[in-house]
Amino acid sequence: MSFQLTNVPAAQVHGAGAMAVEVDGLRLALFSLDGEIFATGNICTHAFALLTDGHVENGCVECPLHQGLFDIRTGKAQGTPVTKDIATYAVKIDEGIVWVDTQPRAGAGEAGGRAAALAAPADFRRLVIVGAGQAGAEAARRARAEGFAGTITMLGDEPHPPYERPPLSKDLLLGKTTLADAHVFDAGEAEALKLELRLSTPVASIDRDKQAVVLGDGETLAYDMLVLATGAEARRIDLPGAETVTLHYLRDAKDSEALGKALRAAESVVVIGGGFIGLELASAARALGKSATVIEAQDRLLQRLLPPEPAEFLAWVAEQNDVALRLGAGVARVGPEGVTLTDGTTVAADCIVVGIGARPRDDLARAAGLETAATGGIVVNGLNRSSDPAIYAVGDVAVLRDSVTGAEARMESWQNANLSAARAGGAIAGKPQIGTDVPWFWSDLFGGTLQIVGAPAADQTCVRRDGEAPVFFCLDADNRVAACIDFGDAEALRAARQMIEAGQPVDRAALADPDTNLFQIEDDDMKMLPIEKRFAWPAAGLDRVPDWAYTNKEIYDREVERIFHGKTWNYVGLEAEVPEAGDFVRSYVGPTPVVMVRDHDGGINVFENRCSHRAAEFCRELRGNTEEFVCPYHQWSYDLKGNLAGVPFRRGVNGEGGMGPDFRPENHGVKKLFVTQRNGAVFASFSDAVEPLEEYLGEEMLTDFDAVFNGKKLTVLGHYRHTLMGNWKLYPENLKDPYHATLLHTFLVTFGLLVAGNKSAMIVDPSGRHSTMASAKSDGAAVSDENKAEMRAYRDGLTLSDPRMMDFIPEFDSPWSVTMQVVWPGLIVQREMNTLGVRQIVPNGPNEFTMIWTMFGYEDDTEEMTRHRLRQGNLMGPAGFLGLEDNEAIKFVQDGMLNSTGGEHLVVLDPKVPTGTSTTLISEAAIRAMYKHWRQEMGL
Amino acid sequence: MNTMAAPVVDDAAARRAARLDIEEFNAAYCTVLDDGALEDWPEFFTEDAFYNITSRENFDHGRPVGLVYCENKAMLKDRALAIAKTSMFGPRYLRHYMTNTQVTGIEPDGTICATVNYILIETLAELPEGRLHQAGRMIDRFQRQEDGSLLLSSRIAVYDTLLVPNALVLPV
Repeated sequence: MSFQLTNVPAAQVHGAGAMAVEVDGLRLALFSLDGEIFATGNICTHAFALLTDGHVENGCVECPLHQGLFDIRTGKAQGTPVTKDIATYAVKIDEGIVWVDTQPRAGAGEAGGRAAALAAPADFRRLVIVGAGQAGAEAARRARAEGFAGTITMLGDEPHPPYERPPLSKDLLLGKTTLADAHVFDAGEAEALKLELRLSTPVASIDRDKQAVVLGDGETLAYDMLVLATGAEARRIDLPGAETVTLHYLRDAKDSEALGKALRAAESVVVIGGGFIGLELASAARALGKSATVIEAQDRLLQRLLPPEPAEFLAWVAEQNDVALRLGAGVARVGPEGVTLTDGTTVAADCIVVGIGARPRDDLARAAGLETAATGGIVVNGLNRSSDPAIYAVGDVAVLRDSVTGAEARMESWQNANLSAARAGGAIAGKPQIGTDVPWFWSDLFGGTLQIVGAPAADQTCVRRDGEAPVFFCLDADNRVAACIDFGDAEALRAARQMIEAGQPVDRAALADPDTNLFQIEDDDMKMLPIEKRFAWPAAGLDRVPDWAYTNKEIYDREVERIFHGKTWNYVGLEAEVPEAGDFVRSYVGPTPVVMVRDHDGGINVFENRCSHRAAEFCRELRGNTEEFVCPYHQWSYDLKGNLAGVPFRRGVNGEGGMGPDFRPENHGVKKLFVTQRNGAVFASFSDAVEPLEEYLGEEMLTDFDAVFNGKKLTVLGHYRHTLMGNWKLYPENLKDPYHATLLHTFLVTFGLLVAGNKSAMIVDPSGRHSTMASAKSDGAAVSDENKAEMRAYRDGLTLSDPRMMDFIPEFDSPWSVTMQVVWPGLIVQREMNTLGVRQIVPNGPNEFTMIWTMFGYEDDTEEMTRHRLRQGNLMGPAGFLGLEDNEAIKFVQDGMLNSTGGEHLVVLDPKVPTGTSTTLISEAAIRAMYKHWRQEMGL
Repeated sequence: MNTMAAPVVDDAAARRAARLDIEEFNAAYCTVLDDGALEDWPEFFTEDAFYNITSRENFDHGRPVGLVYCENKAMLKDRALAIAKTSMFGPRYLRHYMTNTQVTGIEPDGTICATVNYILIETLAELPEGRLHQAGRMIDRFQRQEDGSLLLSSRIAVYDTLLVPNALVLPV
């Protein structure tokens, strides 16, 4: 035993939870656990990182770098990636000060230790489900099925275990079945799921800061993940005379029981509301032999939901079953005699039911500040996750928002309860369920079953087909089947589902003909499918990027058409490269070769480097000075504005040959692009519809851009050109990925360019396409001891012999010493301290791109400043200390995709910021923002 | 730098002798780089040596940037250290070839001016057939040391191969 004094008061350790100390040259970690102090080595046994920067939970510390887990008390490594235990040291407290025995304890876990530690680590997470309905129950079931091993607590308002709701308006209402038949869980299933079911337990509020739900009686229940399955409630109506009668609503088992009794006792039943629930209740009343009237304010049934034809057919069916329909009828009052309409007539009734829809129960979520939809409901993404990454919403209360189009959809159906719960349950267990399903809904009416697949809308056109039973196909504007409403032809319904998924235009006459085989109505050739059907983005949404976005030629061609040749400004060169009239450089817009040239009026023109005669790329020199461009093949010549100036033998020879009389040279210039400039940078666009550059960039991006292009004349210092073996988007992504900076670029950390404590930001413009990765270098004095210690922790003893390369000479109107700006799609403006440059992306197909770098300084630079910029240039470029690593990483990524199939990338870091600017470097929100924009532009 | 007492002559015999020395020097230089002994590489240079790798495009237009730009031996050491200790890149073999050595002059202070063509072949695990990575010309200045050996006081590698395949990880 050789106890050494640490000079650290025990109270300080208890206060901090974890503290780093150095004793006898040993880097130790002190942890406070249950009032006791433990000491371990502080450097992870796996890779170089400090455990005191990690996360302490359940008596274990998790290394910040790769999540290696050690038991603090025993030092035992808890499984991959750590295999070697961490040393532990005896601790004693003397007069409130911590002493540590610098002789490590004998082999912590080596001699047996706890065998259990090698088993799967225990899951201490707590899942709480608010709402004990079908969706809540299914979420619990799926989370368990997918391997969630923490505790699950389900809280329900009602005294009943979870049950399915469709029978409430059908067989249960008629007394044919009991509530027990509708239970979601089989006998013993809840126990097998280790589900704590707390019924008659309403929730009062959600405390998101504390991650706890507060129950009606004040008890709080902590959660790590929360599912809101609070469902919907019946929409109520305020009617004069309501106090004189019982107005029945139907939502839960209690309602159903009361309504069932009332129906049996009644003679004449009036249903207010001509939707599916109203029709089901009318159907139930008729089944019990009662008279039934449906009152609907709209001029026809289901006016907002269905096109006219199926709705009218449904009305006909109802009338055939002796249901009286009062359409376009308002209710003036209700009373013991019945329902009086606004036209003064009274419909006699001794049982009045109101079925006018449901309202999502989003009050808890709203009060907790979760994002909710204007029309009600909790907004969720494709994994049914709400705006708080720890909270999911499923079933009737969830509003699925499309991450790209922003379209919102809330669905009340048995199918959606299950599917949404499956998605949430899978996500909670860490196994997101990919894929949605074609929506499906059924209603039992008048002894038959109506089924709907797809998404019907009132404005769709309908094709009726009378096969075994009537079927209505709803078609969109492109004659594609969007939905199908079926009254008993199961075969047609299956075919419809297939047609909806395929998304192919269909022939109306063939569809209507009962002799057509619906399964063969389409051409099976996949090539006929529209691009958005063949390239379906992963259902999980922006959290994933499919490999085909990087590897597919057809996608690439669409990028050229829609992005590089679309409404974008593309960097083509610097004004300083063409100072004199006639000066030109060869450049590119996307992959398309162009020429940038200064004309005699002083203007800069950009046109395609493609002869309008036979397509030859006529300008062959990288740069130069000329009075005209002459295509070498047939000597067609163009002036400095791209106009066709001369066509040899235009009039033929000896009156023979030559161009026809209709040939007009002014119609045959080379393709000219729109050009704009800002402080010496020249941009071109194929599109006349692109907004001015200042609007294109936006105010925030312009600030960073202008810090480099500040109006001073530029001096070109030279170029680098290299080919990268990856998809072009990986480059902007690399500069929207602050996560990689300290992990890939050891140099940055080793030599103190980027350390914890540096001010940094990942700024994204409102459109999601442009961005600036920015950091501010601290001067030596401003780096705290703590951060210096951290810097040392990575590589001890490495210093630069000539540290001038790392000097930052302040010269910019900017709070940042480094900005890497992506100007979508193909420009990177580099300001790495004092080394300045632009990088232009020239894609060569999906799997490769060329990068052209132009390094520059300012005209008023001193010779020493120019040399400083050149010295600092060692950081970047194809041989740059940082640059070469990015090039290699991008190649590795493309290799990974090309040598496998059908994969997708995971970009989930920082879920609290779905897309856009993040304040932490540990974020992929900027990549998600870029793909949101990309998908909008690509229509995918 | 020249400390030799004998007067400097620039004649055919002196150039021929210098050429042989340079060829031996470059053979050793290539071996060090081909073996990956990166931290020995700065030892081929004088303390105030200038080293630059640049494209012919830049060189012909008087543009000063370099893929690698070092103003002294300290910066060469820093590059060797940083590449050896901090850089991430895929495993590869590099093979340097230097031919067509020409001594273009011997200056009155003894500085030997020379040029030599070079090619760099890069072989990657996923590209076992290898590929031409750079082809170009070295523009060199040598200083003879007291022990008669040579050190580079300047080496400018000018490559014709305009497009660098992916990255240049080691010097040429």
